[in-house]
Amino acid sequence: MKKSLLKVLLCVLVLSLLTSSVALANQEVTVWAWDPAFNLYAMEEAAKIYHEINPDVTINIVETPWDDIQTRLTTAVMAGQTGTLPDIMLIQDNALMKNVIDFPNVFADLTDSGVDFDQFAGFKVGLTSVEGRNYAVPFDNGAAINALRTDVLAEAGYELEDFRDITWSEYITMGKEVLAKTGKPLHSIVAESPDLIMAGLQSAGTWMFDENGDVFIAQNDVLKEVIEVYVELVKSGVMVQVNDWEQYITSFNRGTVAGTINGCWIIGSIVLPEEQKGLWGVTNMPRLERSPNATNYSNQGGSSWTVRADSANKDVAIDFLKHTFAGSVALYETILPSSGALATYLPAGDSPTYAVPHDFFGGQAIYAEITEYASKVPQVKYGVYNYEARDAIGVAIAQVLAGRDIDSALMEAEETVRFLMEF
Amino acid sequence: MVVKARSNLRLETRQSVIGWAFVIPAALLIFVFYFYPIARALVLSFQTGIGANMQFAGLANYRRLLSDNVFKTSLVNVLTFLALQVPVMLTLALALAYMLHDKRLRFRAFFRTAIFLPCATSLVSYSLIFRSMFSLDGFVNALLINLDLITQPINWLANPWTAKIVIVLALTWRWTGYNMIFYLAALQNIDSSIFEAAVIDGAGALSRFFRIAVPMLKPIILLTAIISTNGTLQLFDETYNITNGGPANATISISQYIYRLSFQYSPRFSYAAAISFVVFVLVAVLAMIQMKVGDER
Repeated sequence: MKKSLLKVLLCVLVLSLLTSSVALANQEVTVWAWDPAFNLYAMEEAAKIYHEINPDVTINIVETPWDDIQTRLTTAVMAGQTGTLPDIMLIQDNALMKNVIDFPNVFADLTDSGVDFDQFAGFKVGLTSVEGRNYAVPFDNGAAINALRTDVLAEAGYELEDFRDITWSEYITMGKEVLAKTGKPLHSIVAESPDLIMAGLQSAGTWMFDENGDVFIAQNDVLKEVIEVYVELVKSGVMVQVNDWEQYITSFNRGTVAGTINGCWIIGSIVLPEEQKGLWGVTNMPRLERSPNATNYSNQGGSSWTVRADSANKDVAIDFLKHTFAGSVALYETILPSSGALATYLPAGDSPTYAVPHDFFGGQAIYAEITEYASKVPQVKYGVYNYEARDAIGVAIAQVLAGRDIDSALMEAEETVRFLMEF
Repeated sequence: MVVKARSNLRLETRQSVIGWAFVIPAALLIFVFYFYPIARALVLSFQTGIGANMQFAGLANYRRLLSDNVFKTSLVNVLTFLALQVPVMLTLALALAYMLHDKRLRFRAFFRTAIFLPCATSLVSYSLIFRSMFSLDGFVNALLINLDLITQPINWLANPWTAKIVIVLALTWRWTGYNMIFYLAALQNIDSSIFEAAVIDGAGALSRFFRIAVPMLKPIILLTAIISTNGTLQLFDETYNITNGGPANATISISQYIYRLSFQYSPRFSYAAAISFVVFVLVAVLAMIQMKVGDER
């Protein structure tokens, strides 16, 4: 009796092993990305859509913070173990060029893969290309917005429209009024974070590096104007500096400040407090005055999907991206309402979902507006040495705020970046 | 007699073979995972290039260090922390150990546990808590304002010197207990009859401390000084999590600079390896100086 029971159990075990090995013959595409409310949610919805098209493929999504992705990527390439990397990786746009150039042959060249890059906002395609070849499918929209508390503005006698298409001086003037009448600064920023400076530079079509990749800091008049604006913002009290990211988010969640200027992905954090529903509005960011190509549009952050070049599932991964993020308006319609995930896929912008008024923002059709902003963002080439330049400019800001003159601070920043670029 | 000598030799050989058999696996592991990477890192520091594109370049990285302003700043920062924090911490640990060694003190076990407990915390957790405690609307500012010691909150993390002080406070809080345990153990090895004799001779508490305890603890003080020097020169977690290099690189440490060079900027592992060897030499030199000064053997 016992022996035959044992035989039956063994047969069951062998059978289950066989069926699981048949299941393993299915292709598995691994994805690394961060932010469950945004990127991962979008990936999950994309996986559902692709399952209808190609049921044999499983998409395995692993939540990995951006810093970890960068560290693991570097370590894997240096150790020659690119097999430990996933098939699809979400990469920050400001790090894309660095990773593609520093780690040749790790990222698949998608230029001729069938993905239609004309359907994406121009500035995003620019950010994801290196020497004319595309290395990523553009994803989230970092178009800069100026989100403001309309009720606080009303208290000071202003309307949201007063903040549209303005210059920074007008912003500071109105900000001082708001501060005087309501006691609230217009926005907050993490101390020494150069994000606002970067947004300002891109709004005028320039960057910390020029077309050839040379450092463009000390001679950069736009940068000088941006830093002067920054100092004026802090000194007038219109912008308050906080110590870290959590405090930054808390400052507008608690209503200590009357708004924020950042990439449109900040909307996910703005809509957190229920009691502020209906009290917010969105407009474009202020522009610089002295700079010749100044606009009211810029980009802050944003990331894109890359595919690993030596992956066994490369073609499946590309096919997956082609049918979802680069081809499915339905995907963008699904992810928009629940996560506020705006994308840079232009056909999605024509969808009626994007024109739906948003309750939190007093019925404003913010998505359609932001998609319009995205189409006007000036194109710049980020270059390979962004993180070096970011840190150097962060140091320069702190020095200027402590009293150092802008020219010598920028000179030191340029020297630091040049030093790091050598070899 | 010859037979006995031969069997003794065989016994000796057998014993030494057994001894080696025990030692070799561990030695092999230490060699493979410790000394070999150190040697490879040294080779790496003689190369240059970004990412995986390396070429041999001799002492170029070391020469480059001489003109690296950020490296110099990080070195000065770390030496400042060393000079400010280590003496304060060791003195405090010594005083606390001596007080807690006194058998007449009640709740000694509680105090010992309480002072040692910080060492059991995770470096990242306590750094983040310190950061939130010293923020503009954090606990420390709230306390100081409530006690009427200040009127405006101090922006601890935005001023270079207060940022350094926050790091020193954090380090002291964390590591005093660790060093105190060393001193407590050493104090327990001192025969209590020496102290009793001193009491009979009329020595007060302070002179018992300075003239008996401290000289007898010299070897242990030397040990903790070297360990603390090593730890402070390799400081990373606190500066990364509390101030992230501090206002305008005022608190950046050498290890943090190495991390940035390897993972945040365009990866330059060879240059980072060169910097880590400089730290290695620095720690060795400081340890040798301390031994020369402190070791009586």
